[in-house]
Amino acid sequence: MAVITIDGHPLEVEPNLVIMQASDRAGIEIPRFCYHPDLRPEGSCRMCLVRVKGFARLTPACATPVADGMVVSTAHHDEEVAQATRGVLEFLLVNHPLDCPICDQSGECSLQDYYMHSDYGLHRSDVEPEEKVRKRKGINLGPIYMDSERCVMCSRCVRFSNEVSGAGELQFVSRGNHVEIMAFEDRALQDPYAGNLADLCPVGALTSRDFRFKRRVWFLDHADSICPGCSTGCNVRIDHAAGHIERLVPRRNPAVNHSWMCDEGRFSYKRPESLPRLTTPRLRIHGALRRASWDEAMAVVQRELASRPPRGASAVVASPMASNESLWVLGQLARALSSSPHLEYRCLADPSPDIREDALLRRRDKHLNSTGAGWLGLGTAAGLEALALAADRHELARAVILHGAPRVGPNEPIRRELLSRIVRGTPFVVVMSDVAEDWGDAAHVVLPVAAWAEEEGTYTNGAGTVQHGACALNPPGEARAALAVLTELWAALGGPRYGGPADVFQRGLMQCAAFEGLDYGTLASRAATAYPPEGRMPYGQEGFAGR
Amino acid sequence: MAKKDSRVVDVTAQADALGAGVGGMTAGFAVTLRNMVRSLPGRNSVTIQYPEQRKPYSRRFRGVHVLTLRPDGRLKCVACYLCATACPAECISIEAAESPDPAVEKVARRYEIDLARCIFCGFCVDACPEEALAMTREYDLTTRGRLTELRYGIEELTQRPQIADYGAGYRPHMQYPLVESYLPTNLPPPAAASSPEAPAP
Ligand code: SF4
Ligand code: SF4
Ligand code: SF4
Ligand code: SF4
Ligand code: FES
Repeated sequence: MAVITIDGHPLEVEPNLVIMQASDRAGIEIPRFCYHPDLRPEGSCRMCLVRVKGFARLTPACATPVADGMVVSTAHHDEEVAQATRGVLEFLLVNHPLDCPICDQSGECSLQDYYMHSDYGLHRSDVEPEEKVRKRKGINLGPIYMDSERCVMCSRCVRFSNEVSGAGELQFVSRGNHVEIMAFEDRALQDPYAGNLADLCPVGALTSRDFRFKRRVWFLDHADSICPGCSTGCNVRIDHAAGHIERLVPRRNPAVNHSWMCDEGRFSYKRPESLPRLTTPRLRIHGALRRASWDEAMAVVQRELASRPPRGASAVVASPMASNESLWVLGQLARALSSSPHLEYRCLADPSPDIREDALLRRRDKHLNSTGAGWLGLGTAAGLEALALAADRHELARAVILHGAPRVGPNEPIRRELLSRIVRGTPFVVVMSDVAEDWGDAAHVVLPVAAWAEEEGTYTNGAGTVQHGACALNPPGEARAALAVLTELWAALGGPRYGGPADVFQRGLMQCAAFEGLDYGTLASRAATAYPPEGRMPYGQEGFAGR
Repeated sequence: MAKKDSRVVDVTAQADALGAGVGGMTAGFAVTLRNMVRSLPGRNSVTIQYPEQRKPYSRRFRGVHVLTLRPDGRLKCVACYLCATACPAECISIEAAESPDPAVEKVARRYEIDLARCIFCGFCVDACPEEALAMTREYDLTTRGRLTELRYGIEELTQRPQIADYGAGYRPHMQYPLVESYLPTNLPPPAAASSPEAPAP
């Protein structure tokens, strides 16, 4: 351990850090453009200059390792450092178009924030527009919109493309005043991680084409969640407004996804727009599914499930898209229905070959909670195939199906086909689903439940990390949280009453060996504080004060 | 805790001084009569024959908004949402879109002020970095309903021949005369449109 002093605060830090990392841990802000906690340091922008006692010149905090006894002063306390930072900022502003009112980065832009900082900003920048070096604007790079004039040459994007995603699609061209970021022939980026460029660019040079002009960032509300796209479970922040998700951005979690997420996951919030949602409970009356009230539908379900069928087994189909809490209650419900229920969540057939996987983040399993379902012992039959066969042979008396549509990849044709066989071959079927799909039309009761982001809960990713996802939206129409429906059903069958995900987790799930020692409150607050444990992200600010 | 220097009016003592009977009543009628005589037509009357007659309002009057135009007739607004951000009544809704002109990045596809919710504070005009929004002295907004009629869109906020009558209002940062530089060409000539009482813009 090394003891250093930053702005008079003594700190004890590991000796392998640079000053920037030490100050970030202490919560002392040093302005930066090129430094990014998940990229190799470059030390090119000089925004992070600090004074170290005994050094002849100011030194970049992002490229100077700490040493025992070091005394550091930052721009907040040292006028000479502030003067130097102001100078660097002024150089960046010389050719900057200063078009914040139309720039999509506005509100989450480092350049804007630093300029507004009372220690090193707010000077008068007197360059006439005619004197500025003009560059190319409005270039369409597929998922990314590029504006070279706004670039501060921090090279984060180049390093990301070379080091992290390996696509190597961006490069600097020209020199000095005329240096510009460029993709070969302005072709659309092919990188499946290109969306991250918009997040990591500290200014508005690279912005997201999907989010472009949708909403000013200060109008967004935030909820910390987990990407529903695959079993990696990247930590994301859901930015939503007026009941719609406007974008997903990654949250930094060095243990899961660093600062990144894939584009499939990033745009997965759009899937529900193309799938019809269930909005009202429906009940089979005289052979046809008709709209019913929740009370009517639940009464029928409770009556049917409480009576013992004369022959045949009970089957419960779980969804690997549901939260640990819902799955645990579903498991308990299954055991209340029968001493040896058929419980299954897996579809053993190989999913479609065009599902993509790579070494960085994406996994073949496009469900966010398969591991949780496995841990909770929900795979006791030999796959949905076996259940479908049993239904074909009329061996099932009743079935409870919890279904959630996947967000990424093809919409599981095999799974839907198997579900359809189970529904058609079973005398009484309850379907709880977020989407209205035709396999459910032969069921007896269809209950609309919340989809991802409409319900709070925890999810277990493929590596066995249990993570918390908050609720961002209300479910559509009369749909209710799956957990609420399941706990109500279980209580009607004689189970205990539960008061929500935290209660289910603390009193129920923690009885399972896999979840022992975890705490719901800690998981939830970890989600809320995971933003910048090290290094300010270009987003993740507290937002526009006063709104 | 009583404030030391505040004047205490003892109403009971005043009433006692006027006496319990006709004295107090007469004093009251005297006030009424005095004001009645003062406001007789032809004298310094505060009453005017509205709406035939109108009062000239201040040049800083905050009335109905106008969206100003560039010389080529396009909106000056760049859809930055700063007016909507500043608006305390949250009555401005904007939808931004890509501009067909490569020299301009962003335009407002939809711009709407719900004047039924607007409190005419003028913050939106203060916030606008483009001199795209100004206020006029138009104040009499009458409609038969109040849900949608007062939701003024781009059309209503740009085609405002009325401003020749009412004159320009609050626009603290605008360096040029609003009415002349802005008026769309389809307006009647100002001389024909202005009534004798209308204040010069
Ligand atoms: S485009 Fe953005 S990330 Fe890339 S060098 Fe310029 S400012 Fe940095
Ligand atoms: S890698 Fe998986 S979890 Fe991560 S963003 Fe992509 S789909 Fe989502
Ligand atoms: S005048 Fe005030 S209330 Fe009305 S639109 Fe402007 S900011 Fe909003
Ligand atoms: S502040 Fe001005 S330029 Fe910006 S959206 Fe409002 S009217 Fe348009
Ligand atoms: S030189 Fe240190 S952040 Fe760029």
